[in-house]
Amino acid sequence: CDLRRKLVIVFPAGDSWGIFAFLCAALWNLPAIPALNSTDEVGAGQSIQKTYDLTRYLEHQLRTLASTYLNYLGPPFNEPDFNPPRMTRAEMVPSATVDFELWRSLNDNARLAANYRAYTHLLCYLRSMDGQVAKAELRKNLGHFCTSLQGLVVSIASVMSSLGYPLPSPLGSASPTWAQGPGATSPHNDFLKKMDDFWLLKELQTWLWRSAKDFNRLKKKVPPAALMLRLEMRGF
Amino acid sequence: MANPVPSACCMVLAAVVMVYAQKHSQLDTHVQYERLGADMTMQCGTMDWDAVVTWTANGTDIDESHLNGSHLVLRNVDLTHSGLYACYEGSSWHLKYQTYLKVGTSPKEPVLMCRSNNYPKGFYCSWHLPSPTYIPNAFNITVMHGPRELICEKDAFPKNRCHIRYLQLFSTVKYKVTLTVTNALGRNATTITFDEFAIVKPDPPENVVAKPVSNNPRRLEVRWQNPSSWPDPESFPLKFFLRYRPLILDQWQHVELSDGTSHTITDAYAGKEYIIQVAAKDNDIGTWSDWSVAVHATPWTEEPKHLTTEAQVAETTTTGTSSFMPPPTTKICDLEAIVGSGAVTVSWAEGLVLAAVGVLFI
Repeated sequence: CDLRRKLVIVFPAGDSWGIFAFLCAALWNLPAIPALNSTDEVGAGQSIQKTYDLTRYLEHQLRTLASTYLNYLGPPFNEPDFNPPRMTRAEMVPSATVDFELWRSLNDNARLAANYRAYTHLLCYLRSMDGQVAKAELRKNLGHFCTSLQGLVVSIASVMSSLGYPLPSPLGSASPTWAQGPGATSPHNDFLKKMDDFWLLKELQTWLWRSAKDFNRLKKKVPPAALMLRLEMRGF
Repeated sequence: MANPVPSACCMVLAAVVMVYAQKHSQLDTHVQYERLGADMTMQCGTMDWDAVVTWTANGTDIDESHLNGSHLVLRNVDLTHSGLYACYEGSSWHLKYQTYLKVGTSPKEPVLMCRSNNYPKGFYCSWHLPSPTYIPNAFNITVMHGPRELICEKDAFPKNRCHIRYLQLFSTVKYKVTLTVTNALGRNATTITFDEFAIVKPDPPENVVAKPVSNNPRRLEVRWQNPSSWPDPESFPLKFFLRYRPLILDQWQHVELSDGTSHTITDAYAGKEYIIQVAAKDNDIGTWSDWSVAVHATPWTEEPKHLTTEAQVAETTTTGTSSFMPPPTTKICDLEAIVGSGAVTVSWAEGLVLAAVGVLFI
């Protein structure tokens, strides 16, 4: 099976099991991608466009999902002006917030890596949230969203590999906190757990807005940069 | 002959008195604020209640009926009561007390709005009172971002406006802006809370120009520019919304354009004057700008052919065709109209030709 071609054709998120199976295969085989030829510059450009499109799609999906979920959590979480102080517990999720000049000066690799890391973490926490939800309908919607989000993660990975960038280590540093993370709270911390969920959704929403801007920048810059980078890597 | 010394003395004495009187008339002029519709009493400085005094308003004597002893009583004051009030001692006409009366109201809840027309640089907040107070007001604005207070720099113009630079982008914490308005009769305040993304609204596109297209009676070419206040259209691209209608109709037609700053309308009614406007929005966040200034344009029409004699006119009209009508749309299949960017309207004639071409190629 032609893995390279499959990586580009990730969208639209269709049959869940099919995608899941191929995603597992993709993640397994990712480090083994062979040397690339010039058609991949075009491929990278198209992948960036598709990744951008997916962030917009997810952002749209999230609006409905978040409002349903916050209603499920009940007041004050579903109040429009709810503006609680950010607690340190919520810092487990990498924040989209960044100094303006720093964001502007990120190189393509750093920009992509930040997105990749953020969404792998967010996906992890979302999955744990999934397990706790009492309502079946909401669980199903969350499940679908997770699948689409997984698609985004793979899409970013494919852009990175087609540009020759290494993937950041998956969740290695976050494991200890994740182990005792949102999934493992005691009943006494019910309110705190809901706060975590609130901030998780907020962070996810902000990341999706940010990613649209990140991929806009990448869209403009990729083709010449990709060529230069690979020439460097081959020692020319 | 009178003794010159006493007259000189008199003059000096008069001068001294005048200076003294002048000094005394440079009394502290007070300022007094009173609520519209209130009843009020003015005291003549330190004079006793039973002293004989005369009050004036803006130099005009006030009738004694308004006096209660030496106090001036004003009932149900309105804006016409505002002015300079002075109290003079009865016989000597000494100025004893002077005050400016300003009638007004305490402030109602102010109207506050914040907007980012220069994302990602920052945003501005502007405010006004829904109704006038008629007396001076002081405004104070505070901007909180989580636990941190940010400084909103006042603009020179317009006055009721201040701006903030973003230090961080993509913030999950809301901004909370509080405006307090205070005057001599009271105070009021309002607060708004918003996310960074919610207030993004660009200014309308600039330099919108619409031109007819030669030899195309159904086309209008529209061009515009990004608003100059939008700092970085490369990284933060705008998308546009164009609306147009002939002046004679009320219904607008709309086209949404995801890139580019020009568009060709291909379905204009021949010979009709059109009104066209454009609006802008960040590609991903915020709301649409206001509509741009409207431009007018009429599609190209063929020059009417000149007639040489009356007889020829009579001849041509009897055959049924009028030389004043613009020629019908060209029969050549106009692929550009079908494949062009933005909205697509394919006339049935063009569709038929395309179908025929398609059949040929199958």
